[in-house]
Amino acid sequence: MQPLLLKPRYALSVLALMLTSTFTFFIGSAHAVNTTQTPYQTDRKDAGTSNSSSVTIGANGQVVTYGNGAITYTAPDGTKFKMTQTQFVELGNSLFQQECASCHGVTANGVPQNKTPGNFPNLRHEAAAAVDFWIESGRMPAANPRDVQAQRRPPKLSHKEALAIAAWIATLSKTTAWPLIPSTHLKGGSLADGSALFALNCAACHTITGDGDALAFDTYAPSLRNVPVVQITEAIRTGPGNMPRFAGNLSDAQVRDIVKYVSLYIQHPRNPGGLGLGGLGPVAEGFIGLALGVGLLALAGFWVGERQ
Amino acid sequence: MSDTMVKTKRTKKQQAGPYGKLGHTINELDDRLGIAKAGRTFFDKVFPDHWSFMLGEIALYSFIVLLATGVFLSLYYVPSSTLVTYHGTYLPLLGRKFSEAYESSVNLSFGVRGGLLMRQMHHWACDIFVGSIVIHMARVFFTGAFRKPRELNWTIGLTLLILAIINGFLGYSLPDDLVSGTGIRIAYSIILSIPLVGSYVASWLFGGNFPGHIILERFYILHMFVVPLIILGLVGAHMFLLVRQKHTQFPGPGRTENNVVGAPMFPIFMAKTTGYLFVITGVTALLGAFAQINPIWQFGPYDNTSVISYAVQPDWYMGFLDGALRIWPSWSFHSFGYTLPLEVFIPSVILPGIIFNICFAWPALERKFTKDNEMHNLLDRPRDRPVRTAVGSAMLSFVFMLFIASSTDVLAKYFSISLNTVLLFMRYAVPLSPVVGYVVAYYICKELQGVEHAGKRKVPNVVTRSATGEYIATPAPRRVDDVHHELAPLQVPTYVSSEEPPPSTSGVRQVDR
Repeated sequence: MQPLLLKPRYALSVLALMLTSTFTFFIGSAHAVNTTQTPYQTDRKDAGTSNSSSVTIGANGQVVTYGNGAITYTAPDGTKFKMTQTQFVELGNSLFQQECASCHGVTANGVPQNKTPGNFPNLRHEAAAAVDFWIESGRMPAANPRDVQAQRRPPKLSHKEALAIAAWIATLSKTTAWPLIPSTHLKGGSLADGSALFALNCAACHTITGDGDALAFDTYAPSLRNVPVVQITEAIRTGPGNMPRFAGNLSDAQVRDIVKYVSLYIQHPRNPGGLGLGGLGPVAEGFIGLALGVGLLALAGFWVGERQ
Repeated sequence: MSDTMVKTKRTKKQQAGPYGKLGHTINELDDRLGIAKAGRTFFDKVFPDHWSFMLGEIALYSFIVLLATGVFLSLYYVPSSTLVTYHGTYLPLLGRKFSEAYESSVNLSFGVRGGLLMRQMHHWACDIFVGSIVIHMARVFFTGAFRKPRELNWTIGLTLLILAIINGFLGYSLPDDLVSGTGIRIAYSIILSIPLVGSYVASWLFGGNFPGHIILERFYILHMFVVPLIILGLVGAHMFLLVRQKHTQFPGPGRTENNVVGAPMFPIFMAKTTGYLFVITGVTALLGAFAQINPIWQFGPYDNTSVISYAVQPDWYMGFLDGALRIWPSWSFHSFGYTLPLEVFIPSVILPGIIFNICFAWPALERKFTKDNEMHNLLDRPRDRPVRTAVGSAMLSFVFMLFIASSTDVLAKYFSISLNTVLLFMRYAVPLSPVVGYVVAYYICKELQGVEHAGKRKVPNVVTRSATGEYIATPAPRRVDDVHHELAPLQVPTYVSSEEPPPSTSGVRQVDR
């Protein structure tokens, strides 16, 4: 008697079963990851103190500036915009109610009025640098609050308005939330340290050319090509969205080195070899090599080969 | 005729004898080495006039560019993992410590005159080399040029493709930058994933654990000596068989299974192919000069296994392997104290093994299925062999989709789709692509077979309106250029006479096989 498996009908059905199970594996593993996690980080209570060498305390006992030769952090100050601090905070409050309260709530606690607490972050302990980053990078007010990740856009609010909102939010918390608005002194930075630290800390998501790339579940590491110095520093120190917050493991000097490398080389890559091809690496190179190189040569072959 | 003779062109010519100075030298050489016969065979080698026969030459000449630029690079590259401090001109690396291999690669880019151009030409020529091998192979496959008696040359060509890919990978690894270090790491893991022998082979190749200290030296010897030497030898064998078995040709007037109709090597094809050599060198040089490839200074050194960049892809010819690795589900088998990492072993060892073995076996498979054991010197039009064309299309679709799968992150980024969606799509699209490729190609072939004169040059219709309002379409008279003149075949002399050789004639020749 012939074994069952040797009969074509049975062999085929076994093969079909194997193929089907293959596809089941495909489906299974694609859905195996938890999708319910929220991309927002709401808990910033663990904000540490800076590695600063000098701290300036204001008249009311609050921290006004601190920092060192690498980065100075300054509290939002209305006098720079020819306003008293009270007026400045009041401006921030009214702007917040107008632009932000529909999601973050009128008291900035992340609970919109008459709605159950949702996925909106509580901003009451938010640092000035974080507020400034989100507003000045155009991510807030969000184009679509339900987006997994807010996109960089031309900012809707001005520098002054962003700082005013940050100043108002600072008044909601009894302690000063770290960090304040940074200003990075690039002059003394080391490019070599910056490039090494960039490779170690940033390239894993933003890619070594700083072009950014897609991450899992609709999130992405944005391109660093057109990010101002202040916002790079703010992002490293506050960790917006999915980005980890680099607090204890990088000193101010190291952050300054990274920012210097990003602003001088990542944003202005020296392309001594010709066209940079978008920093895409082998994908673009392969396309050019095949389409332009082999394609042109095949056309030339047509031209040469068909000549009588 | 005395010593006081005035040296004019005519007297010089007379002095040189009936064959001229060059002819005299060749005569002397022939007396000693007997080169006339081989030279005659070489000069009279007939090349059929079809542009697609030039595709293989892209590979040949880009290989020559590779050899030339590679020799230049080898003068400056140091294959050493010894740590050195960089003192060059690229500021972000100044004072950093990394391997001498990376340092010498950066230095030959920035410190050596023309070094960067040579490095970029080398890399572009490599991309073009492998690409042209693939399209040359596709031409050979779809026209059935691999059939008896040319199966051996098909095998040699495929081996060349594999060696080209391997050598490309080895070369990509040599600069010891972040990207190539990642590549070596992946290769190490792939070797490790082979059951039973994997760990031993990896340990033997790397001289211990990854990365070790000697892998760059070993890759260097393989990349610039061993593999190129084998490639060179196989290219020689490829060309020898080509001359020995003569070219295939497309069917046409005067073309039979027993002749070759086309232009002779000298002077026509010699002129064409030399010109083509310059075109290929020129395009490579233009790309090398104006399009930046593999900016290793941006990538930085691979000095720490914890340093990794996202979005690292291999060069395009390794893309199908990377794509398979990316989309393969994470299966692994743990039992009896052993782990079988199927998620690495299947896509990166088994899969390419299957792909290349199908290619190797195809001539034999086709002989078996068609029961066709005849000699074939006339080519098929792809549409006339729909099954073969469909199989080739299926294979190309499959490999192409695997290749596309190696850029899942780039696709997700540029089309703003979730990376997971792209991955899921690829997991279905890749296994389905050969089916689609097969069916589409098969029916296109069938449709083309049904169309009379498909693919022939179109003759415009002239529509005239008669006095009664009737429209009449008549084919336009052919222009002079459109008429293809068949040249009368010239008989090739079968011996070299001692008399004045006949003047070299250009035009179509016919030789018996």
